[in-house]
Amino acid sequence: MIGRLVAGRLLDLAVVLASVSVLVFFMIRLIPGDAVAIMLGANTEVTPERIAALRASIGLDQPIVLQYLGWVGRALRGDFGTSLWTGRPVIDEIAVHVWPTLQLTLLALVIGAGLAVPTGVLMARLRGRFADGLLRVVTVAGLTVPSFWLGIIMILALATYAPTIQALGYVPFSQDPLGHLGRLVLPATALALPILANLSRLVRSAMLDALGQDYIRTARAKGVGERGVLYRHALRNALIPYVTSVGIMTGYLLGGAIVVEQVFAIPGLGRLILGAVAERNYPLLQATILVVTCAVVLINFLVDLVYLAIDPRVRA
Amino acid sequence: MGRFAFRTMLMAGAVALGCTPGFAQVLEVGVDASPAGLDPHIITAFSSFQVVNGTIYEGLTAIDKDLRIGPSIAESWTVSPDGKTYTFKIRTGVTFHSGAALEAADVAASLKRVLAKEISSPLASRLAAVDTITAPDAATVVVQLKEPSAPLLTSLATLAIVPRGFETDKDGLQKQPVGTGPFKFREWQPNGFIALARHDGYWKKGAPKLDGVKFNIVPESATRQVGLASGQYSLLPNIDAATALQLKGRPGVKLAETLELAYTLVGLNVSKPPFDNAKVREAVNVALNRSEIIAAALFGAGVPGGPLSPALKDWAVATSEFPCYTHDPARAAALLKEAGVATPVAVTMTVLPRQDIKDIAQVVQQQLNKAGFKVELKTPELGQFIQDWRNSNFDMFASTNAGSPDPDDYFFRTFRTGGSTNVFKYSNTEIDGLLDKARANVDPAGRKADYTRVQKVLACEGPIVHLAYSQLFTAMRQNVGGFEIIANRSLSTLADTAVAK
Repeated sequence: MIGRLVAGRLLDLAVVLASVSVLVFFMIRLIPGDAVAIMLGANTEVTPERIAALRASIGLDQPIVLQYLGWVGRALRGDFGTSLWTGRPVIDEIAVHVWPTLQLTLLALVIGAGLAVPTGVLMARLRGRFADGLLRVVTVAGLTVPSFWLGIIMILALATYAPTIQALGYVPFSQDPLGHLGRLVLPATALALPILANLSRLVRSAMLDALGQDYIRTARAKGVGERGVLYRHALRNALIPYVTSVGIMTGYLLGGAIVVEQVFAIPGLGRLILGAVAERNYPLLQATILVVTCAVVLINFLVDLVYLAIDPRVRA
Repeated sequence: MGRFAFRTMLMAGAVALGCTPGFAQVLEVGVDASPAGLDPHIITAFSSFQVVNGTIYEGLTAIDKDLRIGPSIAESWTVSPDGKTYTFKIRTGVTFHSGAALEAADVAASLKRVLAKEISSPLASRLAAVDTITAPDAATVVVQLKEPSAPLLTSLATLAIVPRGFETDKDGLQKQPVGTGPFKFREWQPNGFIALARHDGYWKKGAPKLDGVKFNIVPESATRQVGLASGQYSLLPNIDAATALQLKGRPGVKLAETLELAYTLVGLNVSKPPFDNAKVREAVNVALNRSEIIAAALFGAGVPGGPLSPALKDWAVATSEFPCYTHDPARAAALLKEAGVATPVAVTMTVLPRQDIKDIAQVVQQQLNKAGFKVELKTPELGQFIQDWRNSNFDMFASTNAGSPDPDDYFFRTFRTGGSTNVFKYSNTEIDGLLDKARANVDPAGRKADYTRVQKVLACEGPIVHLAYSQLFTAMRQNVGGFEIIANRSLSTLADTAVAK
C-alpha cells in the first residue's frame, strides 16, 4: 500500500516539476524588462554595447530554447547555477532562506492547527449557546483580518507598550537562541490567527456533522461517556477534512508568508522569491520555485500518510 | 502617573539601554532594500551604493557634505594647462582590508578594471574621455585624457579603488569585497543584514569611531519607523518626507535634512506630436503650479527647481529667472493656440511605479487638464516602464532622475544629441555646442556662463519639465553624533559617527 502511494507521488512529482519548470522559465522571461534592464534601472548612463556585454555575461544573448535546455541539463546534474548579481550558488541562497520560513511555518502551524482542534470541539459542544455565538463572531473576524495588518498592529502595540523589547528582524539561532525564538513569536502568531479561525470553524462543523450520525447514537446507547463520544468517535471522523486543510495551508504558508516576512523583516523564502521576481534573477527564481513545488508535493504525500493512519477505509 | 511621566520613563529606559557598558559599539542601520551585489564597479542602484560608498570603498577623490570635491585616496593632484593630463599623488599609509598596502599600481588597475571588457562595468562611460592610465612610481598615477573633461574629478569619487588582483576578476568582489574604507565587510545574510566591522588599519587618524555598522534590511516602512522609535535601529538613512514627518518629534529621535540632487520630472517625447512643438512644451510648464504639487504630493518638503538642483549653489539659476515657471493657465491655452494644435491635447503619461511619483502624476494630470490638455495616466510594472523608457515609447512620462555634484552629469547624457539617456530624442545645436564647450573647459567661471545659458534654454523649451527637488532626510536616535547627511546619498560620514554613552 505504502509502496504504491510512494510510486504514485514520485510520478506526480516528476510531472509537476517538469511542467512548473517550463512555466516558470518562460513566464519570468515574458515579463517586460530583463535582468540587465532592471538592474540598471531608468536613467542610468550606459551605452548599448555595455548593455549587450552585460546580457552576454549572464547568457541572455542565447535563444531562449537553448537557455532552457542548458538550464535543465545542468539542473539534472544538480547544478542550479549562481544568483545573477551576487554570484553565490543558488542552492546556498535557498539554504539560508529556507530555515526562517520553515520555523515560521511550523510554529504557526503548531499554534494555529494545534489550538483549532480544542477550540472547534469546544464550539461544537457549546452549540447554540451564547459562548458559541461569540466564538463564531471572533473566528469570522479572525478570517477577515489579513495577517500583515495584524502584524503591523502588533509591532505598533509593542513599540508603544514595551519599547525595550526588540522584536524586529531575524537573529540566527547560533548567535542568540532566545532572541531568535523571541523574534519568531509575533510573526508566527500573526500567521497562526487566520489559520486558527479557519480550522476551528471547520472542526466545529465537521464535529456537528459527525455528532448527528447514527453511530454516535449507538455509542451513546451502549454507554460510552461524553468524552469518549466526542474524542474517540466524533473527532476521529471529523479530522479528515481538517487534515486536508492543514496540508493545503502548509503549502500556502511555505510560499505565502511573503507579507508577514516583509512586515517583520524576516529573510525567508517569500522575500527571496519576491526579490528574485523583482530583479528578474532567473536562476534563483527557477530553483526556489522548484524547491517550494517539491515541498508542496511532499506535504500532500504526508497528508496521504496521515489519512492512512486515521481512516481505515484508505488502508483497505 | 501622568502621560508625561510615562514618556519620561520610556525615554529613560531607552537611554539606559544605550548605556549598556562593555558592548562593542555597532550602529544598527535600517535600510529598505537589499543591495543587488557588492562589486562597486557593477552595482548602480542607490540601495547598493549607500552600503559600499565611503564605508567599504573609497575613490581617488571624495565629495564632502557641501558637495565639494576633496582628497581621499589621492592626497593631491595637478592638472596640465591643456586639461588633458591629471597627475595624482597617492596617499601613503593606506591599507586594504586584506592587510596589503595600497600602491599606485592598485589605483591604476582599479580604473582599468572599470574599462575592462571582462567586467562589463556600467560605470565605464564615466571614464569615456580616458586615453591611458599609468603608475610611473608607487605614489603617482597619471591619467591621460583624449580631450579635456571637467567632470572627471567628480566621477572619480564614485569609482572604488580595489586591489590590483581584481583587474579582470569578475566574481571575486561580489563575494568578498575588499576596499580601503573605514569599515570592512564581515557578513551578508541576504534579505537579512549586511554587517561591517571596523578597519583597524584605516588611514584617517581617529576614525572610525564605531566598532561596526549593521545594515538591517527592512522592506516595510512602518516597521523601520517603529524600529527607530523603539531604539532597535539607530539610523534610517536617506528617507523621504512621508516617513520623516511621521518620525518628527518622537522622543529620542532627531532628523538631519538636505536638499536632494535628484529631481522629479515630466519627460516629453520631442520626436512626435504634440511635444515636437516647443510652444506645447512651454505650455506644459506654464500650466503647472509647482508649489501646489509640492504641497499636495511631497508633504511640502521640497522646492520648485530648474534643470539644476538649488543644492548646487555655484551653478544653479534661480527659478525666478525662468518666465515659464509662473503658473498661468490662460497663457498655456494661448500658447497651445499659437502652436496650432487641436485642443484638448490628448496624451498618455507613463508613470514610474513609485508612490511619490504616482501622487505627483495625479496632481500634474489635474493641472494640465485644466489648461487645455487631456492626460491619461498609465502606471506599468517597473520592467515595462524601463523598457518603454529606453525605447522612447511614450508621449510623456513622470519619473525621477538622479543628480550629481557636477552639472555635466545632469546635462550631457540627457540633453546632448544622441546622449545615452536622451530618450526624448531632443536635439538642439546650440545646446550641443555649449555642452561640448563646458565639458572641455576646466575654468569654472567660463563653464558657469555656458551652463547658465543652457539652463535658461532647457527650463522652458527643453524635453524635460522639471518639477521639484525634495528634501532628503536621515532619521537617527538622539545619541548618534557626528553623522552628516550628504545630498548624493553617500554614507561616508559614518567614519566620524559615534554613539554617545
